[in-house]
Amino acid sequence: MNTDFPKAPLPLPRAEDVTDELAALDGPSIIPAGLRRTVFPVITKEDVFKMLLSTRIDPAKVVADFTEAYREYVGAAHAIPTASGTSSLHLALVGAGVRPGDEVVVPAFTFIATAQAVVAAGAVPVFADIEPDTYCLDPAAAERAVTDRTRAIMPVHVHGLPADLTALRAVADRHGLALVEDASHAHSARFDGRVAGSIGDAAGQSLMADKNFPVGGEGGIAFFASADAHARAVEYVERHGIDYGMSWIVASFGASQLERLPYYDEIRARNAARLAEVLGETGLFSAPHVPEGRTHAYNMYRIGLHPDAVGLGDLPVHAVKEVVHELLVAEGVPAREWQNTPIPCHIPFRRREGFGGGYPFSLNPAAARDYAPEDFPVTLDMLGSTLVLCRELRSPVEYERLERYGHAFAKVARRPDAIRKLVGGREFPLPHEKAARLG
Amino acid sequence: MDHFDTAVVLSRVLTSGVIMSIERNDRELPALERLLRKVGGRPHVTLVNSVTAGLHSALAGRRLGHGDDVVVPALDDAHRRFLAWLGVRAREDGTPAFAYLSAGPADVGRLGPLLATTAGAPAVVLNLTGLGFGPAAAVLFDDEDAWRRAERLKIFGTFDLRTMWTQTEADDGVGGVQFNYRLSPLVAACVRMALTTQGARA
Ligand SMILES: Cc1ncc(COP(=O)(O)O)c(C=O)c1O
Repeated sequence: MNTDFPKAPLPLPRAEDVTDELAALDGPSIIPAGLRRTVFPVITKEDVFKMLLSTRIDPAKVVADFTEAYREYVGAAHAIPTASGTSSLHLALVGAGVRPGDEVVVPAFTFIATAQAVVAAGAVPVFADIEPDTYCLDPAAAERAVTDRTRAIMPVHVHGLPADLTALRAVADRHGLALVEDASHAHSARFDGRVAGSIGDAAGQSLMADKNFPVGGEGGIAFFASADAHARAVEYVERHGIDYGMSWIVASFGASQLERLPYYDEIRARNAARLAEVLGETGLFSAPHVPEGRTHAYNMYRIGLHPDAVGLGDLPVHAVKEVVHELLVAEGVPAREWQNTPIPCHIPFRRREGFGGGYPFSLNPAAARDYAPEDFPVTLDMLGSTLVLCRELRSPVEYERLERYGHAFAKVARRPDAIRKLVGGREFPLPHEKAARLG
Repeated sequence: MDHFDTAVVLSRVLTSGVIMSIERNDRELPALERLLRKVGGRPHVTLVNSVTAGLHSALAGRRLGHGDDVVVPALDDAHRRFLAWLGVRAREDGTPAFAYLSAGPADVGRLGPLLATTAGAPAVVLNLTGLGFGPAAAVLFDDEDAWRRAERLKIFGTFDLRTMWTQTEADDGVGGVQFNYRLSPLVAACVRMALTTQGARA
């Protein structure tokens, strides 16, 4: 049987592991090879049973029931199920009134789909920098990017932390703009008690199977605050003959997963808090910052590096980051960069071919700018000084695995001597000087 | 569709734990691509999550886009509206840029002969939605570069996975709008089952 059931359990963590030689210097690794896989999404008998039942139900009803259940969970007024997060963002923008040639302000740090959805809507993405502590769209930078052709601001709740929606709403109101959420990382995340996706005039959200709330493969959902916005999106899809429909198979899996989402949310929050405790003792590493009034969903967990705290303040932080990254991977912790370049510097936004012949950028040449990485200094600082855990904390990760991740960070942080030596004599290009990565 | 077969396929894929299209050890999407390459007799196949995604991919593969005049096969009204949305001016007076076929449950036993009728067309859009597993389509290409451009239209298409998600400067069609046109492995597995088991029985 081809199964994802683990082949062997991970040994219990031992405090002594932290003082062993680094795996990169031929010591034992904290998580032995062969035991590094994190099972995600967790697929249970409930998922299988629900899906078998769904084969006997009208497909349209399977999708509609799922949509209604999740819409209610989020607390949004209206919803449209879609084939992907990208298509949900497209419909959210359309519902919010974005029209060809309009400008939409988006953060320079996100997944490329955020900006491509703007192009799909026939609009031009205008990029603004992020805040240094939340990594979400900076309301002041967003406001500076507003022109008389701006129609909407689309913040991203990066990694699962809601953007500053109070300040962004104020900017939107001052300039008569729509506020559209990209809630693709932020299932169950909250801002002042309200669930992400229910706060803007519209929202799009990916439900693909690598997200905290996974459907059966690929899917998304668009939310709308008003019946008008919802009707605009429904009419648009019909008028243009676009098939953005969600498969009943995909929806069925979402329906059974939704029942366990609060459980998984709690596990993730617990794992994130435990790791924050451990990181807080290392000096070298810091946990994500969560402002008062916001609940982080921890789709990803971005860890800050502070070389000065361990006597490495004289070294370039990005060099320390790269060496630490290698040391962690050798210990069996699959840390990542998750983005190394501001989105406007990716090829589709440098070439701006759009749908062909430069459409829709050609509708608004003033907004179709050439950006340089240096236009986004906060993003660059973040890319050079942070590392990310993705699915590693996400599912019901076993206690022993979580503790071992903590041990790996502690083990690496104890060795500024080794880090200094490994940095010495090597050239370290800045992250954005390497080929742009999508993830 | 046969409920037992569908139930077995869905249980099999769920048990494997691999239900993501961007998982490198997914076997379902490549297996469906392989089947369609064999049945269709063309060396390249792009799988997508709807027929409109298929139309878009066929055009992108042939470097046709906004502002272009395109000769199209007979299409229904919704598909023509979609082409207009892409900014393409569709005509029917000439050799079409691609062929269009729709496969429903009644066609599965004769998919090979059906696809054979498209010989000579540079690309075939095969609508698989009628099989009953949700929106799905495939685009069959002879030309590798056309297939490459179609995959580039898809965020995390085959090249992004192969290069570990790195966009390169290579002039293979990156530079335009991209969509998430990825098909779910669960849907792909059911489509393949329908095209094989029912086909064998018919
Ligand atoms: C922030 C963000 N927005 C949009 C998307 C697009 O979603 P999808 O891949 O489901 O189309 C993603 C991820 O995949 C994302 O991370």
